Order: sequence, then structure tokens, then C-alpha cells
Amino acid sequence: MSTLQIGLWYGAATFAALFSGIPIAFALGLVAVAFMMGFMPAASLDTVTQNVYEELSSITLLTIPLFILKGAAIGKSRAGKDLYDALHVWLHRVPGGLGVAVVLACGLFAAMAGSSPATCSAIGSSGIPEMRRRGYSPGFAAGLVAAGGTLGILLPPSIVLILYAVAAEQSLGRLFLAGLGPGILLIGLFAAYAVFAWRKEYGAALAVAATGGPSSAILIQDTYTMRDRFSALPRVMPFLVLLSGVMIALYGGIATPSETAGLGAVLALVLIAVVYRAYTPKDLIPIFQGTLGESGMLLMIIGMSLLYSYVMSYLHISQGAASWIVGLQLSKYLLLAAILVLVVVLGFFLPPVSIILMTAPIILPPLKAAGFDLIWFGIVMCVVMEMGLIHPPVGLNIFVINRIAPDIGLGAVIRGTIPFVLLMILAVVILALVPGIAMWLPNLVYG
Amino acid sequence: MHETDFTDGAVAPVADIPRTGILGILQAAVTALNGVMAVLSAIAITGAGFVLTWEVMGRYIFSIASDWQDELSTFLLIGATFASAAWIQARRGHVGIDALSHILPPGVEWARRVLADVASLAFCLFFSWKSWELLLEAWEEGQTTPSAWSPPLWIPYSCMALGMTLLSLQILLQLLLHHPRRNLGTYAV
Repeated sequence: MSTLQIGLWYGAATFAALFSGIPIAFALGLVAVAFMMGFMPAASLDTVTQNVYEELSSITLLTIPLFILKGAAIGKSRAGKDLYDALHVWLHRVPGGLGVAVVLACGLFAAMAGSSPATCSAIGSSGIPEMRRRGYSPGFAAGLVAAGGTLGILLPPSIVLILYAVAAEQSLGRLFLAGLGPGILLIGLFAAYAVFAWRKEYGAALAVAATGGPSSAILIQDTYTMRDRFSALPRVMPFLVLLSGVMIALYGGIATPSETAGLGAVLALVLIAVVYRAYTPKDLIPIFQGTLGESGMLLMIIGMSLLYSYVMSYLHISQGAASWIVGLQLSKYLLLAAILVLVVVLGFFLPPVSIILMTAPIILPPLKAAGFDLIWFGIVMCVVMEMGLIHPPVGLNIFVINRIAPDIGLGAVIRGTIPFVLLMILAVVILALVPGIAMWLPNLVYG
Repeated sequence: MHETDFTDGAVAPVADIPRTGILGILQAAVTALNGVMAVLSAIAITGAGFVLTWEVMGRYIFSIASDWQDELSTFLLIGATFASAAWIQARRGHVGIDALSHILPPGVEWARRVLADVASLAFCLFFSWKSWELLLEAWEEGQTTPSAWSPPLWIPYSCMALGMTLLSLQILLQLLLHHPRRNLGTYAV
């Protein structure tokens, strides 16, 4: 059988196994083992487990459970609400300041917790009711939090970037730094939209009130004293110190990424024990349940995806597919667009971790040959996968929002996220036109 | 994909199971063992956090060279991943794509779920078998990691073998207990 035929069968088998509903980890493992049996030397089957063990025993990959533990500890505490409250008090004079506060809180929380759904639920559970109480439309409030939550996979310590670093053999430190500029760009775009949408809703409410209609809560102006502002700080300061401390440890050359992960997890547990008195089994059990559930599931997918990629590479499927793509001689940006569309389509069904590990061996060589910087592409791919978190059918963040604010309705949440999907597409275009937004900082630090 | 709540890990509650008969006793034993493994895994992850924290502090405060910390934390984290695999499976926390479940008629949907579990079981049994072989070989040959500290490899391999075996047992029980045909109607939801 030719490589092309084996490749087509491999793709078809993967498609069938995934859609049969077998858990992603076992489906990928099963396909890999079946093709090993059919097309590889019998001895290769004896090394399946050793293969998975060796791929998994990378200290970079194993930072994932620790970053998840840190995120779960912060996510289960009241830190999200405190952070957003403090930002709101400081930003209330800005037109649409509440929405801007929510976006900024999402960005900061995402950088602390590193998880998109955790950010959505931590900021959304207090932010969405507050925005609705102040007269924001439910769809807009939900869309804003869903979109803000996606920053979790772009800002460091993003689990998706950790995996990309492993799959693309790129420096994790560089990737983390490259995510910062685009993260700030997205925060800026979301905040600008929040102000724009607020003005629109404010204007409409004003017009209704002027014609003698009911006065919307959006028209009420808040007043906070300086005392209110400063009294909001003590609870959030420790977490901002944690955030900046971990960054300084990482980029000041004090700690490696794995040490940073360990340090961050321990400090987060200590902080929630000190600041929120969360140290009883009742507080800790949900944190550890969440950590185990997410990290075990992810690492199992990662281990089996790596086995899957190994088989794909051994059978020359990935090399064949990659050279086929190169052979098409697409123009640089047509190639990029085609690959990004593929990522979007895969994002309909698969979580970002599987997309990266399954496609990296196929899509990265052609991109490299076309002259794209793989660090830059990692960031762009991340932004595109962020879109997958807020568009149907998987749109994990949509379901998280639906769970914390069920009365808004799935339809309204999805409509609320559409402007943000468009803003993300705009961000990808801006990043393609001005790659320096991502690359300036890592080039400055690492040369 | 299942609508997994990544924020708290637990997905669906463990379905009602018979508490009588051999299967019931076996299920109770596996559930208890899963609980123990989950606690050990949580301790291992936290332990890895402390080991890595010690690595930084030891180097910067006490100027102690770091030679064993990375490997120990690798062992702890790999151990936790495999040890907790069955506990996660009990909650159906290993996510899959269930896009078809909404469109298939109940009978076909029942068959799909059973087949998905059979396929998962086949893979996990194969992986368990190969893990035991790997463990045996590492034990007999006294294999160690290639580092200066060189801890024995049977330690992480045994976590892998035990964890995957418990996972296979958990899937087998779910297959035997959670797919009665009398529940056909519930798959239509």
C-alpha cells in the first residue's frame, strides 16, 4: 500500500474512532496501535508503553498539572470577584467602565489561572449579574465574559502554548512572551468594543427615558470615594504580587518554567489559605478534584496524541502530507489562510491540545518552508483556537456561561459572542500585518 | 465533545449501580480503590509542587545543587496521571466527541455507546498488558533513568501498569453495569 493510501486510511480510521464517541485519548491510542499492528514491525508494539512514558516524561509537559492546580486554587477562591470589584471601583469614571473592568479582570485572572473556562466562571459569576443589574443587555454581558475568558489560552502560563512549544520544538519562554502583546491587543479590542456597545445601549436607554419611557439602570452613575478605591486593594494585591512574582522568577532567570509552575501552585495554595482562610478539606477537595479531572484527562490525551503522531511519522504520513502541501506551491498567505481554516474546522470538534499535537507534524514544515516564524504562527494559531472556544458547536466557554447564567439562553449567548469572533479575526489580520506585536518582546529579551 | 466542566473536573455523577452480587461488590471495591488513588494523586501533584519549590529555594537560598528534583517531580506527576485515570473514567471525565448522540435513534445510540466502551476497553487492556511487560523487564534488568541520581524505572512503570489495569476494570464495570437495554429510552434525551 502506498503512503498516500495508508495516510487516507489513517485519516478515515481517526475520523471514525473520534466520531464513534470513544474518548479522544483512547481513540487516538487505538488507531495508532491498530496501524502499528498492520503496517509496522511486530517489535514496535512492545515499545508502545515505553514510547508513551518517554514522551510524557518531559518536564515541560508535566508543568501542566501544576499550572492547573494553581488555576484551580485561584479559581475556586473569591479572587475573581475581588479582582473584578476592585477594577470596577477604579474604572467607574470611564464610559462603559464596568465592561472594561470585566475585560481587564478576565485578562489578569487568565494570566493567574491559565484556564479559559475557569476565567469565565470566576469573573462571569459576579460580573454577568452585575452588568445585567446595571442595565447591560444579557447577550452582551455574556459575550464579553465568554470572549474575555478565551485570553486564558493566549496569556502565559497558557497550557496550549506549553503543548505548542513541545510539538513545534520552540522555546517556551519565547512563546510565553510572544503571547503578551497579542493578549494586550485583544484586551484593547474587547475593551474598545465594550465602550462602543455601552454607548449604543446607553444612547438607546436615554432615548427611551427622554420619551417618557422607563429609566434603565444603565443610566445610573456610580460614585466611589478614594477611600473606596484604596480599601478594595488589600485583597487583590497578594494575587497581583503572585502574578508578577512568578513572571519575574521566570524571566529574571531565577526559575525554569517547571520550577515556576511548582512555585506558582504552592504560592497559590498558601495565598488562598492566608487571604481567604481556605484550608479545610471542604475548601481543598473541590480544588483537587478539579485539578485531577482536568490534568489527568489532558495528559492522557497528550500521551496518546504523541503516540498517534509517532506512528504517523514512522509511516511517513505526516512527511508525505507536509510535502504534498509544499508541492501545491500556494502563495504564502493563501497557505496560512488554508491552514487557519483547517484549524477552525478542527476546532468545531476537538480541543486545542489535540489539534496542536495531531496537526503540528503536518502543518509546521510547510509553514516553515514558506518563511513563517513558528513562534509567531503559534500565537496566531492560539488566537484562532480561542475563537473555537466561543463559537458553536463545541464552544466550551458558551456552555460555561450557560451554566452560570442559565436564564440568558444559549441563543442570546451565542449572538453575544459573534462580535468578539469578528474582533479575533481582526486581531489575526493585524498580527499578520504587524508581526512585531507578538515578536517584539521575545526578540528584545532573548535577542 | 462532552460538555465537560473543566473548572471542576467532575463531569457526570456516577450512575446508579447495583450494590448486590459479585458485580456490586467489585464495583464498590473499585470505587473505594479509585478514591484512594485520587487522594494519592492529589498528594503527588502537591508534592511535586513542593519539590520544585524546594529546587528554586535550595539553589538560591542555600546554594544546593539540584540533581533529583526534576526527576522526582516527573515520577510524581506521571504517577498521578495514571493513578487517577480510573477515577476520572468513573465520572466519564475522559472527553470524547458525542456529536452523533443527538441525532441517532435510541437503539443505534445504545449500540454506539456500548461499542465505544468496548473499543476503549480493548485499547486499555492492551496498554495494561504492555505496561506489565515493561514493568517486568525494568524490574528484572534493574533499569534506571540515565541521570546521575538514576532512580529505578519500575517506580513510574508500576504506576502506569496499576493505573491502566484499574482503568480497564472500571471501563469493564461500566460496560457491564451502565448499558442495560431497559434504559434505552434515556439515550434519546
